[in-house]
Amino acid sequence: MGSLTALIIKEVKELIRDPKILIGVILMPLIIFPIMGSAISISQESVQRALISASFAIYNEDQGLVTDAFLEYLYANNTVVPLQAASLEEAIAAFQETNATTLLHIREGYSDNITRGLKGELKIYANLKSLSIAEAGTTDTLGGLVNIYSYVLSITKINTLLEQVGEAVDARNVRNPLTVDYASIIKGTVLEVAPSSIFSIIMSQSILLPVMMMVMLMFAIQMAATSIALEKEQKTLETLMTLPVGRMTILSGKLAGSIVVGVGGAISYMIGFSYYMTSAFSFAPEMTSMTTGDVGLGLEPIGMLLLGVNIFITLVSGLALAISLATFTDDVRSAQSLTGFLILPVILPAIILMFSDISMLPPTVQWILLAIPYTHSILASKAAFLGNYQLVIRSIAYIAGFTVAVLYIAARIFSTERIITSRFTSFSLRRLLRRR
Amino acid sequence: MELAIDAKDLVKNFGNVLALDKASFTVRDREIFGLIGPNGAGKTTALRILGTLIKPTSGTADVFGNDVVRNPEKIRGIISYLPEEAGAYQNLSGYEYLSFMAGFYVGDGDTADDMMKEAKLISGLGDRLGDRVKGYSQGMKRRLLLARALMMKPKLAILDEPTSGLDVVHAFHVRQMIKDYADTMGVTVLLSSHNMLEVEYLCHRVALINEGQIIAEGKPEELKEKYTAENLEQVFMEVTRLG
Repeated sequence: MGSLTALIIKEVKELIRDPKILIGVILMPLIIFPIMGSAISISQESVQRALISASFAIYNEDQGLVTDAFLEYLYANNTVVPLQAASLEEAIAAFQETNATTLLHIREGYSDNITRGLKGELKIYANLKSLSIAEAGTTDTLGGLVNIYSYVLSITKINTLLEQVGEAVDARNVRNPLTVDYASIIKGTVLEVAPSSIFSIIMSQSILLPVMMMVMLMFAIQMAATSIALEKEQKTLETLMTLPVGRMTILSGKLAGSIVVGVGGAISYMIGFSYYMTSAFSFAPEMTSMTTGDVGLGLEPIGMLLLGVNIFITLVSGLALAISLATFTDDVRSAQSLTGFLILPVILPAIILMFSDISMLPPTVQWILLAIPYTHSILASKAAFLGNYQLVIRSIAYIAGFTVAVLYIAARIFSTERIITSRFTSFSLRRLLRRR
Repeated sequence: MELAIDAKDLVKNFGNVLALDKASFTVRDREIFGLIGPNGAGKTTALRILGTLIKPTSGTADVFGNDVVRNPEKIRGIISYLPEEAGAYQNLSGYEYLSFMAGFYVGDGDTADDMMKEAKLISGLGDRLGDRVKGYSQGMKRRLLLARALMMKPKLAILDEPTSGLDVVHAFHVRQMIKDYADTMGVTVLLSSHNMLEVEYLCHRVALINEGQIIAEGKPEELKEKYTAENLEQVFMEVTRLG
């Protein structure tokens, strides 16, 4: 077995056998996300059950054929609590004693108004006991029933009027005289899909990509910092540095071992996350039925290759940066605290680009973001989906340049005695700050 | 006789701290040489320079004719270094740790299996080698690390405080192993210690170091005779008093 392979195997074994990493990085996402997803799914199902079984109360002050027909419609397929009361105040008080969440008040003159072509007046009272989503839903349910009935009433009325004037026109066309169809043009191809649907797919994709990149980078940075700090904490680094193996091989072993575990962590995170998405949003299947491929935004082989290169270089740069920083610490805790600062340049572009396009931002913010290498990783990933390979290559070149610089620094630290003698203590930090 | 180590006027500065101040000493092939002195005397710095971990600020040091600054890779191929505060990978078993280390030396004659057999013998840990290192006592860890340092029969073993922090039983085992191994395998040993009685028992020759300077060098008997002392502790006190 070659020295590099031996070093990688050792790194992976050391990292994944560490309970903190095994549980925190690999197992937790696989456990936590499904639990979160199930919790949301259970609560959503309970909301739906609440909607189905929702009952409403009716306080009717009116008499007439139109009111009777309306009541017949409401009583069919719904659980209705009829209230007998001398006044509205009494009805409201009685309503609060029932399990019904909404009260429909049919005012006196409703039937007469409709017959005379005036507006029938109704009022809905919602009894907000728990301020939950389910309560809002049940209020909407009664409102929905009223709207449907309102539509049917209007169509009937229009039909009657059309018959009176002798016009042979569909009442629905009189009610809605205009109709609009939407289509979208992507990369020169006309798609019979509404732009709002395309945006929802791109939105989900543009959220997923930065999240994926961010998660993977954060895991890898954590792994690399832990890997080097473990050597220092366990006092194994000195021995390692006197072995007949090149310092660059040791550095490469650390990078590769951290990548393996970091990617493992990211995969388990994404498995957990996708399980969370499918289980949490299982009540809304239309959200997941369309893919970027369906709307012509799928990855071509060259895009896939460039995306892979981009992810790899981004990972290596994050790792090299974490290793360089972690060499100045003595233990895992201080290494993780110090590399915690690296989360900011990773998380900042991810969050901003999740909700906005870089060209929409003020020029100063654009320049600041473009100076951060990890912005380019996200830009390259998005551009790969849109087939803008020139931008992908430009972004990869920028981050590759940064990676080479960081790798050079890491290699320099590894090839000098700094790796053994460097100490980053709170004392040295205070002294450094004072000097500044 | 070929010199295993030839250190001349070694100086090492860490910022304003002068850790070594023109330290010179030689170690002959196949001898056990002790570098003795109090804490902070410069022992570890000298060993780290010879182990190619750090570079001298000035002066030269050769290990079997190889300069520590110009040929560190060559030196790393023929030495093994046991730092004072060394540890082993907590999440590997003793076997896995030794096997990982042996992998870097395979091809120089011995196979990894031969080295593992040797390591099992030196450590005396038996079946406990199958357990994870995190479950080892301080003494067991030190025995494992000594086995790692000696199993590949290096030309030079650099052992920094090999019995530091060990109880009587473990310290005795470690000392015995160093002595036996150097005698039977012809390994040159450079060790440091502030336990002068231990050095007197183990070493053919010693160098006394204080405040970064070598203040005396020779066989323990010669030094005791020269300073009319009963042991090396008294020699050290006498030399520092005169100095």
